[in-house]
Amino acid sequence: MRTTDTTMRVRWRFLVGAGLIVAAIAYLIVAAIQSTSEYYLTVNEVSARRATLAGQALRVAGRVKPGTITWDPRTLTLKFAIMPPPPQGNSGVTPVTQADPPTAPSFKVICKGEPKPDMFAANRDVIVEGTLGSDGVIAATQVLTKCPSKYQPSKGS
Amino acid sequence: MPNLGELALAVALLLAIYSILANLYGARNNRADVLQSARHALWAMTVMVALAAISLWMGLLTSDFSLAYVAEHSSRSLSDFYKFTALWGGQEGSMLFWTLLLSIFTSIAAYQNRTRNPEIAPYALAVLGAVAVFFLGMLNFVTPPFLLLAHRPPDGADLNPLLQNYWMAIHPPSLYTGYVSTTVPFAFGAAALITGKLDDTWIRTTRRWAIFSWFFLTLGNLFGARWAYEVLGWGGYWAWDPVENAAFMPWLVMTAYLHSVMIQERKDMLKVWNLALIGLAFALTLFGTFITRSGVISSVHSFTQSGLGPYFLSFVIGVVVMYTALLIYRVPDLRSPAEFESYLSREAAFLFNNLILVGIAFAVFWGTIFPILSEAVRGVKITVGPPFFNKVNGPLALALVFLMGVGPLIAWRRMTVKNLLRVFAAPAVLGVATGVALFALAGLRQWYVLTAGSLVGFVAGTILAEFRRGVVARRHIVNETVPRAVANLISKNNRRYGGYIIHIGVLIAFVGIIGSSFFKTQVKRTVKQGQSFAVGPYQIKYLGLTTADTPHMASATARIEVLENGREIALMDPARVFYKAPQQPATQVAIRSTPLNDLYVVLAGIDDGGLVTFQVFLTPLVLWLWAGGLVMALGTVVAMWPNVRERAAIAQALKAQRGEDEELAADIARGTD
Repeated sequence: MRTTDTTMRVRWRFLVGAGLIVAAIAYLIVAAIQSTSEYYLTVNEVSARRATLAGQALRVAGRVKPGTITWDPRTLTLKFAIMPPPPQGNSGVTPVTQADPPTAPSFKVICKGEPKPDMFAANRDVIVEGTLGSDGVIAATQVLTKCPSKYQPSKGS
Repeated sequence: MPNLGELALAVALLLAIYSILANLYGARNNRADVLQSARHALWAMTVMVALAAISLWMGLLTSDFSLAYVAEHSSRSLSDFYKFTALWGGQEGSMLFWTLLLSIFTSIAAYQNRTRNPEIAPYALAVLGAVAVFFLGMLNFVTPPFLLLAHRPPDGADLNPLLQNYWMAIHPPSLYTGYVSTTVPFAFGAAALITGKLDDTWIRTTRRWAIFSWFFLTLGNLFGARWAYEVLGWGGYWAWDPVENAAFMPWLVMTAYLHSVMIQERKDMLKVWNLALIGLAFALTLFGTFITRSGVISSVHSFTQSGLGPYFLSFVIGVVVMYTALLIYRVPDLRSPAEFESYLSREAAFLFNNLILVGIAFAVFWGTIFPILSEAVRGVKITVGPPFFNKVNGPLALALVFLMGVGPLIAWRRMTVKNLLRVFAAPAVLGVATGVALFALAGLRQWYVLTAGSLVGFVAGTILAEFRRGVVARRHIVNETVPRAVANLISKNNRRYGGYIIHIGVLIAFVGIIGSSFFKTQVKRTVKQGQSFAVGPYQIKYLGLTTADTPHMASATARIEVLENGREIALMDPARVFYKAPQQPATQVAIRSTPLNDLYVVLAGIDDGGLVTFQVFLTPLVLWLWAGGLVMALGTVVAMWPNVRERAAIAQALKAQRGEDEELAADIARGTD
């Protein structure tokens, strides 16, 4: 017969073991978050916090500014400027007909060594991954285009 | 037809509501006739939902662009096959498809339990009916699939090009089948909590459902990975995108559940845990739909961002709160007479395996919702990408693989150290030998790869030892050849050996994941016609470009020659395609797969001056991942296979024991298998 005492001791041993596993998982999560997190910002937010962001890993969401795209296939270098999407405009393909306010911030983006994304074009919504240099240029490691209109909700008839 | 579909959905909603009331009333007042009427209502509901689905399919196949859904997700030039799959190519259709599956599964559960489990089945069917009411409510009031356009457009906007791929034809149905079928075990778990009939009836009744669900979740994840690999053109198959995570989390939790129910069946332990797991699995399937549809978490796969989010969130929260409250209320009745006795026991191994699986699910969940949390708490959106998930899950995966070797071989209750050494000595030697071979012969130096390799050797050793033990035991009793003994071993203990086959599949897939994650290389090069460049051991020569033009799409295809040691080994044709209706370009990857490595060529760019840009990935062992997945699927089929002999034996035993009639005994046997 096992005494209640032994039972209690064994139960405690298991609680400690399970606790250690949970603690280890928690530690892995916390440590990994600290070492891998990136700010996810809009162009306006980058502009507002510019001073504190230099050298920091970023994901910047914005829209490709028309007339700024250059693409050199030989060196796989893509250059463009990223600007905030116009207020209200929630569709990735709505062309911007009105001139943007002159004060709208924009940042130059240089992405080297990556092929041009499939749906990359002026006025498309993109996410740029990279770091912001002290010169205000974003050195991008990746440019992701968001899927356009196909995925917009139906407005009915 | 559209009006018919709309009407059918309205009737289905009423039938679902009626079935809940009838099930509850019938169960309370012991009225078999009312319960039968409830079942009939559920079957009629299924017919109605099927009618609605058929009428949407008819709309798609006949290109009836007066229907908004058809106009937005199909086009005249789309092939009939993709018109058919367009049913789940958009939100309203996906919801309808989901509801169709839910209705079918509910009907089957109602049929299976028409005489069995009279105490909990009506409540389980009421829960299933309630879930159906939610989805039918969405279809009737929030995302109606049969909206008509005021002006019928001449042609549709076409199915998203990324979805025009045969993997997309089978990936969503598999995943949805997996998602939706978790509802059945969940409903029986909830019914056990509602009625207080808390023995393992609900687990035994839905065991096959749980394995069925796991089977399709596995295939759904696998096909999704395969689709991403073939279509998205970035050379990988898994990016820890929220959408992928949403499919992965229920799989993890169901995996934990399938293991922990064995502890309850054998030892009557972990009762609260099992009920919690099935609730969690169900909630995660809803949560997955919520995050993919609500747009609260930015995903590269931006799905429809729609008004569906708040409803799903409310439903998930409602389900979790009610279920948790019930569970807490019943905790005093769920105390287990048995206790864990020793770390060196199968119970302990399974407990730790469960903690790690749920831990991985939690880490994935945390990483997925972290942007929302950080924005709420610190006012700034912080995202974590694939490095986070790899860092956390890498070590946990190693621990899991280790336990996969230990769990099946270690004894129940407690094992002496001497026995432990006897059982595990040979597999451990095999593991160490594998590690040494990888270090010395293959020249590998990454500690993770070496550890993973050793563990794979160790686990493979334990599975081999298990098969060997069984074969030796059989041949000791009956005179059989070795292959015959293996076949008999599997067919007579299909649940156990099906499980081992799944484990073998996991090992093969794990090798594929390690190889493709650690040793992938890529080359990007812009070349003129006739130029060549090196990728690993291969030379790639660009031979020329051909173009094609159809009403549906325009394409440019590059022809390349792959040479190894100066000898041609393959011709490949990566292409770029422009889909005309949605005005969208897409890439068509060319892949050459061998068991050793995959050569993956993307035609990344074409310029006016005759220059083309290739992006080439050389990824070792990717094929192992798909092969491992198929072995897992095979093992699941073996484990699910009805074991005729076992049933007959149980039926016989019961009959002999109690002298009761044959039919009843057969029914009981069906329930226990």
